[in-house]
Amino acid sequence: MYAYDKYDHALVNARVEEFRDQVNRRVKGELTEEEFRPLRLMNGLYLQLHAYMLRVAVPYGTLNGTQMRKLAHIARKYDKGYGHFTTRQNIQYNWPKLSETPDILQELADVEMHAIQTSGNCIRNVTTDQFAGATADEVADPRPYAELIRQWSTFHPEFSFLPRKFKIAITGADIDRAAVKWHDIGLVVKKNDAGEIGFEVLVGGGMGRTPVIAKTIRDFLPEKDLLSYLEAILRVYNEQGRRDNKYKARIKILVDALGADEYARQTEEEWQKIKDQPIDFPAEEAARIKAYFAPPPLQVLSDDVPAVDELAKKNFLFAAWLQNNTNQHKVPGHVNVTISLKPHGGIPGDATAEQMDLVAALADEYSQGELRISHEQNLILPHVAKKDLPAIWTDLDEAGLGIPNAGLLTDIIACPGLDYCSLANARSIPLAQQLGKRFDDFKRLQDIGPLKIKISGCINSCGHHHAGHIGILGVDRKGEENYQLLLGGSGAEDASKAAILGPGFDENGIIDAVEKVVAVYLGEREEGEEFLATYRRVGPQVFKEAVYDAR
Amino acid sequence: MTLVNLTGIQAGDFSLLADDHSPEEGAAVAVPLSRLTDEGDDFFKVAGPVGAVLTTDTNHADLAPLMNKLAFVVVDFPAFGDGRGFSLAVRLRKDLGFKGEIRATGPVIPDQALFLLRAGFDTVEVADERAEAFKAALKRFDSFYQTDYTGQVSLAHARHKATEERKAS
Amino acid sequence: MARKIKGPQMIVANRLLDGRVVFLKADGGWSAVAADAAVAADEAGVDALEALAQKSADDNFVLSIEVIDATERDGKPYPAHMKFAMQALGPSVRPDLGYQVSPAWEQTDL
Repeated sequence: MYAYDKYDHALVNARVEEFRDQVNRRVKGELTEEEFRPLRLMNGLYLQLHAYMLRVAVPYGTLNGTQMRKLAHIARKYDKGYGHFTTRQNIQYNWPKLSETPDILQELADVEMHAIQTSGNCIRNVTTDQFAGATADEVADPRPYAELIRQWSTFHPEFSFLPRKFKIAITGADIDRAAVKWHDIGLVVKKNDAGEIGFEVLVGGGMGRTPVIAKTIRDFLPEKDLLSYLEAILRVYNEQGRRDNKYKARIKILVDALGADEYARQTEEEWQKIKDQPIDFPAEEAARIKAYFAPPPLQVLSDDVPAVDELAKKNFLFAAWLQNNTNQHKVPGHVNVTISLKPHGGIPGDATAEQMDLVAALADEYSQGELRISHEQNLILPHVAKKDLPAIWTDLDEAGLGIPNAGLLTDIIACPGLDYCSLANARSIPLAQQLGKRFDDFKRLQDIGPLKIKISGCINSCGHHHAGHIGILGVDRKGEENYQLLLGGSGAEDASKAAILGPGFDENGIIDAVEKVVAVYLGEREEGEEFLATYRRVGPQVFKEAVYDAR
Repeated sequence: MTLVNLTGIQAGDFSLLADDHSPEEGAAVAVPLSRLTDEGDDFFKVAGPVGAVLTTDTNHADLAPLMNKLAFVVVDFPAFGDGRGFSLAVRLRKDLGFKGEIRATGPVIPDQALFLLRAGFDTVEVADERAEAFKAALKRFDSFYQTDYTGQVSLAHARHKATEERKAS
Repeated sequence: MARKIKGPQMIVANRLLDGRVVFLKADGGWSAVAADAAVAADEAGVDALEALAQKSADDNFVLSIEVIDATERDGKPYPAHMKFAMQALGPSVRPDLGYQVSPAWEQTDL
């Protein structure tokens, strides 16, 4: 993974000192809250319901054991002993003090981490496939490009005061695990007929109150032109994106207003003017950064490991974990392990400092010191030798991290909701907990198969409900929490918007409704057909009848 | 107000021309763009150095016909978060080749000093008590990840400067 | 300016240095406990409380001032709506670590 050079260190350290000065000026009254707010946001510091919240960047979801241990240390020393991993592959702390935040940022800088641009109307942390560089279905590892974009977008002189936040996602695989079509800019690494690397470029995706799936504005952008083309897209947006209405300020609204073809034309026109200026990285820089992401030296091993098979025969939970929480690595005899942060009855995405320490130790011992965070709020040990799985699972299980539900119904994305968030209208976490309890039977979950439930506590859609096979949206109805049920969304390469099925429910009603939806699926499915495929085949009506007619 | 000079340019000394006034002969005046586009050649003959006061929503293309007549430009930010002002300065330098002074006015904050400089601004008008903070903010960072239109090349290039020079020679 | 209010009001804010939730008391000070909050029953009373709160904001002691509907719990002031009740207690899903565990002003160190 990437390692800072002296320039990166100097910039991040200077940023810490800058923020320390900004905090001092705010406390002394030299900066008003109105002025300080965007500055603290650009350092990841929000004010939530109960306290400040610090969002620390985990660039493209990749970190090492030392960094994870630092995250655990921060949870213990400055917070209440836990952190929350997010759909942006970041981590949030829920209780930091403003006065201590500069110290936290310095501790992060010491391990080559930061909270830069994890909030604010600027280019946010670039996200990617949690299995980047570790699966066979990949054209190229997208992380070097994510790092190049990270550097280019950091403290950008022109694009740090955009109309609204701006999110870029990149994938290099056939299967889209990064939800690129739901981002302001989505990039898909491709090879052209000549075997050269480039990108399909999509713009204008986003969730919020107006869900839009991104549209392709360029089928193939040569690798070397990446940054100048991004600059052209951003310039058009910065100049013309709406600033009069926060809810219409995202690029998706501008792309819709201009039309994707016109957006592409304006981008192209601007790009032609700048593409030969030294905006793009030189080949040497691309090579320098790619070298950091060279594949680890894994030995080719046998995929046939008797000890694993034996444990799987004896222990149903291990067998289920093997099936759901591991996937094939590009090097034979290896897998990637998904550590589920979705214990039944627990808080999706939360991990204690002790759990973080354990995962860091496992990474050092079994996964080349490397860790990933998935946008589905789980942790990943990449590059694991299959023979090590029984030992890893035993350690995880003892720490409450051996839950075999990755990709299943209880692997739920949930935003923090009204339990923490000052924007929320309803709670999200308790629904995830209730669903975990209602479906707390791994044989049943296994039978139901892959099913993504995503829960948001308000229309801002941080819980990705628009992209859920089953989406749940919390609203405030006359002071009471009310939950709408949506079906048929997808965040993958077959991206689709979930549709509202009918009137909303109270907290118990929505859990019953999910159970009825699942029952319809089990009744209607054809051999081997997953939930989303069945829904798309049979349509909403049969679900609607089952959910509402009995009421 | 204090004028903070970001680039060391010879900063202009001008006053804002009131709506219903004509410029005095030879006077340096700043005039809203909306009025300038209506003024004929006589206006520019009478006045001394003329500058355009731009709102951040100005389309840079509207400035093209005035380029050889303007001595300076003032970009008036309605709010510090209105990032269009940064793109406008970039357009002036990059697309219009404007070499004169670009001044920022309005509620910009000290922490934007380097952003303003790197987008192409020369000067910024600030409240007196904030001048020191602006100057301090200019010194916060000394290398950057982006090539900008003020001659700064990105770290991506600077890291390989020796290699690039070798190739060039 | 006088305002129309529907019922009794109280004021909640966050303390600048640590962000913790605080309720405005009648003397212009702040408490971590909702029960200590001053409640205004009329428009003039709300204006007076708001002026007190604004002074604390001007002194860089609090931010995010909200005038909220007040009700009673055990005969003491309490936020009427769930969002603000959540502020008084801490997250409903972590009863082990919210303000319900250690609400006292003295127990926080700044």
